[in-house]
Amino acid sequence: MSSRRWLYRLLSPLAAVLAWEAAARLGWLTPLLFPAPSRAFADLSVLIASGYLWKALSASLYRVFCGFAIATGVGVLLGAAMARIQLLDEIIDPIVEILRPISPLALFPLAILWFGIGDGSKIFIIALAASFPVILNTYAGVRDIDANLFRASRSLGASEFETFRGIVLPGCLPHVFTGIRLAWGISLIVIIAAEMVGATVGIGYMVLEAQQTFRTERLFAGIFVIGLIGFATDIGFRRLRRFLLPWYRETER
Amino acid sequence: MSLTFPGRGRRAPVEVLRDVNLAVLASENQPIAGPGRERMMVFQQPALFPWLTAAGNVRYGLRLRANRANGNAVDETVADILRLVELDGFANYYPADLSGGMRQRLEIARALAVDPQMLLMDEPLAALDALTRRKMQREVLRIWQETRKTILFVTHDIDEAVLMADRIVAMAHRPSRVLEVRPVELPRPRQREDREVAALVQHLSALLE
Repeated sequence: MSSRRWLYRLLSPLAAVLAWEAAARLGWLTPLLFPAPSRAFADLSVLIASGYLWKALSASLYRVFCGFAIATGVGVLLGAAMARIQLLDEIIDPIVEILRPISPLALFPLAILWFGIGDGSKIFIIALAASFPVILNTYAGVRDIDANLFRASRSLGASEFETFRGIVLPGCLPHVFTGIRLAWGISLIVIIAAEMVGATVGIGYMVLEAQQTFRTERLFAGIFVIGLIGFATDIGFRRLRRFLLPWYRETER
Repeated sequence: MSLTFPGRGRRAPVEVLRDVNLAVLASENQPIAGPGRERMMVFQQPALFPWLTAAGNVRYGLRLRANRANGNAVDETVADILRLVELDGFANYYPADLSGGMRQRLEIARALAVDPQMLLMDEPLAALDALTRRKMQREVLRIWQETRKTILFVTHDIDEAVLMADRIVAMAHRPSRVLEVRPVELPRPRQREDREVAALVQHLSALLE
């Protein structure tokens, strides 16, 4: 993206923050409910300097990474296997369809019973919730491969294994990638909620604690950090896709 | 010569030739047991691998275990074949970035890379617009003249058959049968307006109706 377009894209959020700051300083807003952004940023630097933010952040990200990694690994294997093996599809698909609509947070009390209040319960819930988009997208990705590509590969002399490596793997990658990206987003949503329900450390806990102690500026600082993580990682995913899938056209423009 | 085709839809003739006994047409007079690399298919809708570049698509077949014995100068073969189909400037383009005619040429290039004895073309030009189609007819003829591969070319376009073929097998369906086998000995390049070409087109049209 050109630097000029970046500038345009920065303009509207920047204007919103400035307007908010001005309104707060002019006394139009209740400080307890809407603290000035500058106070939130000041508190953010305190959080950074004291090391509290890193502690919370590393605890949350550790849980997210573990759950996300499990979801991706299990999801890709299961989705691909279900797409290729009819029997497996018929056995697993109903289980997926029954579990999928259940809010992961409904299962969280159960997860705490099973895995305790530490990392285990969060990782379990993330792994479960995030595996669904990976399973479904991998499945669709493998099924979506043009049957003529298999025929072309075989008639060129490819063995079953060569066809799997040469056609199935690269062919399902765009869908798998979409599934993984969705899984990451779900992981970030679930971790915050889970940490608000039952945790002693983490970004979600930090935000909840800030609310309970009426430190609204910290609450906003926490929300800002959460948003920033999602924003930054999504840019990372897009870069990664352009790098991994240079041939893929999302839409014809 | 007699060939019968079980009614399996539009694609039947070439599928049958690929799969079943083709002793009559096979150049070595050996019965054909199943699909094989000696007879490469070229489809109406190119089945190119979208994640590979033009060069990658041509290289795919050469890299397979079954074809590795054909020689280790893979990159040279790829370059030669892309030049043959006049895609040498597009080696690093993905299929999505090529035009319809270019994709069809790339499909032919990929088939030629594994050095088959025969190309089975199933209405390869039917999806192209009229102008591109004419151009591709000349292209296929040029590639044929340079490589001397036997090409079995299925078409519904009588003009196309008369302009291109050495031998035309006119077929009807329900019941599937061969109506006429007609060698075409007219000199090339042939023009639609040539008297003999027009006469043969007329004859075949009448026969097929």
